[in-house]
Amino acid sequence: MSASSAKLPPHDLPWLPRPAGHLRDQLSALPGDPMQALASLQSLAQAGWGEAELRSIGRKVRGILKSAPANFGSEARAQGLVPIRLLILSASTASHIADALIGTAIRFRFLLEVVVAEYEEPEPWLDRNGAALKDNPPDLVLVASDSRMLKLASPLDDDAAAEQMIDAAIARISRIAEVAGRATARPVILQTLADDPDATRFNMDMGLPGTPRFLISDFNRRLARRARHDSRLVLDVNALANLVGLSAWSAGRYWYAAKYPFATAMVPLYADNIMRIIAAQMGRSRRVLVLDLDNTMWGGIVGDDGIEGLVLGSGSPLGEAHAALQRMALSLKQRGIILCVSSKNDETIALDAFRNHPEMILKEDDIVAFRVNWEDKAANIKAIADAIDLGLDSFVFLDDNPAERKRVRDALPSVAVPELPEDPSDWLMVIQAAGYFEQATFSREDQLRPGFYKANALRAAQMERIGNHDDYLRSLGMRLSIAPFDGPGRKRIAQLISKSNQFNLTTRRYSEAEITALQSDPDAITVQARLEDIFGDNGMISTVICRRDGQRCDVDSWIMSCRVLGRRVEEAILGHLVAQVRLLGVTEIIGRYIPTARNELVRDHYNRLGFAQIAAENGETVWRLAVDSYCEKDLPMTVDVRRVAEPA
Amino acid sequence: MDHASENLASSDAILARVQDIFRAELDDDALVVGLDTRQQDLKSWDSLAHIRLVSGIESEFDIQFSLTEIEQITTVKQFVDAIQAHC
Repeated sequence: MSASSAKLPPHDLPWLPRPAGHLRDQLSALPGDPMQALASLQSLAQAGWGEAELRSIGRKVRGILKSAPANFGSEARAQGLVPIRLLILSASTASHIADALIGTAIRFRFLLEVVVAEYEEPEPWLDRNGAALKDNPPDLVLVASDSRMLKLASPLDDDAAAEQMIDAAIARISRIAEVAGRATARPVILQTLADDPDATRFNMDMGLPGTPRFLISDFNRRLARRARHDSRLVLDVNALANLVGLSAWSAGRYWYAAKYPFATAMVPLYADNIMRIIAAQMGRSRRVLVLDLDNTMWGGIVGDDGIEGLVLGSGSPLGEAHAALQRMALSLKQRGIILCVSSKNDETIALDAFRNHPEMILKEDDIVAFRVNWEDKAANIKAIADAIDLGLDSFVFLDDNPAERKRVRDALPSVAVPELPEDPSDWLMVIQAAGYFEQATFSREDQLRPGFYKANALRAAQMERIGNHDDYLRSLGMRLSIAPFDGPGRKRIAQLISKSNQFNLTTRRYSEAEITALQSDPDAITVQARLEDIFGDNGMISTVICRRDGQRCDVDSWIMSCRVLGRRVEEAILGHLVAQVRLLGVTEIIGRYIPTARNELVRDHYNRLGFAQIAAENGETVWRLAVDSYCEKDLPMTVDVRRVAEPA
Repeated sequence: MDHASENLASSDAILARVQDIFRAELDDDALVVGLDTRQQDLKSWDSLAHIRLVSGIESEFDIQFSLTEIEQITTVKQFVDAIQAHC
């Protein structure tokens, strides 16, 4: 079967390449070395396996981890595989999805351990296990509630009773989330409810209080709003059920036989969605969409057919499909996704189409980087990644040509390359269902992000023009605004702390609640910094958390957005820290570097800032700066400091 | 379906595939089952494992068992017979 000939339903994960060969044979041929075996499994898991196969992959991963040596976790981390633990609270059966989740997790480069509490209301379970959870908290908690657990029911046509029912159900879920969140200090994922295809449903029911349709849709909207308010994560099970069709999602037979909340064939899609939420929460969602031009962005080959010959927009069904793809790209841009172009074409001709084709929805200005030439696409994608300073693992590449897709997949395995059906009118569903760009939170910075990267491209041009780096920095007219953590900044602070992986000295993650607590902690010194220049506002680009202990100040966490690398922001922040701790009688600042697979960039951070190394163990280094020995620097920016926090 | 119908006559071939599924679902690579293996003979063949076996066999043979079959199957032979009846 050719990879793209069959049109697959969403629960078969059609964006993934179809598996080649039998899983059993491939599992029995795994290398003996545990690290190599995991690497093979990670690459095997990139295919669209069914539920049973995912469980087999998961079991294999579990087996390897069980017999692995004690320090295996850090070795795996160094290879880019991150160990995480997930607690699932379910009143139905949940253990059957554990192995499939583990098999899915390794596709996302997570080594997942699953703890399941099932067949029991979550409240008594949390009561009994609260203390154990505090001692050994999971990294995330999934409250896998379903309509059978919540038993939404109220008299027909009684608005007040329906409202009361939903109030009670929302209060109950919030309480469970609160208790679980408090016991673990970790993010909690809540689920919306799928509609019940077995329930009596008339067409008017959405407007009739007390009907299952009414109660479930009201509950879902309120749950999602409440979750956003309380900074919880949401797994929209209702949307998944709608995507595949309610009758396919729900399967009475499995519920009657085994208390499974949905059909087993849906497990791959469910598991993929859980993992993409977790990936987004951990800062691993994708941020860049690279588009091919000919027969992807538009129908036809611009070099052969000319601008007039392109199939795009109204007047042709195929043209409409390509226009719809452009509209999708534009809507992703509005959610903060960076759009780029990689195409084998003559650059002048391709740009001409952008500038002069009347039906083009994407404009030249929407594209952050163009790589239009006759070179290999993988090399071009790599060049884009270098130019905009984002890792290849945040890239998605869209191309109609199966051969190009395979080449990029082989050359750059960390780039996501969705399989596309033959017919462009089927593409959007597949790309959207893949959920590559899932985000756990929404902040104003997200919407501004493409603008930041575009401005960076302008800065790069300025640098090229000026030639000298110092002169270039001075030409930018930078203004750094520094303030302690406060209410208005909290969402973005939390986002930086949970997502930054590269310029992150210790990779310590803190929840919003912990960040709030720091605001009133007398021994905590916190910094949030924004940077503006002549090309625009870069937004909040750095956070630092220090803890003062008498005459000593420990830098617990130092994070900066890679957007502003090489702008001497870290030097300005150190200058600010020194000035601040001097007032408190602090004599030394202690910094620490904890290596991960992704923060090599800052190995020499403290060295560059003039700290002296005082200890080293397992790659971890500790550094000291005597406050007295610090000399003021002449920096190419003005620094504004706001000392008093604004009210939230 | 083609794949399954080729093997229609051969309960040995079906048994071999069923054994692979038992090994995977009961997490025992060395497990050997025969037509005479009963649920009560295998400790790991509990009620949850039974559903996993059902689901694994359904996807391997692209069939769907009835609720009655799911409930009444307690031996490997009954699985093989039911597979043959569905293919």
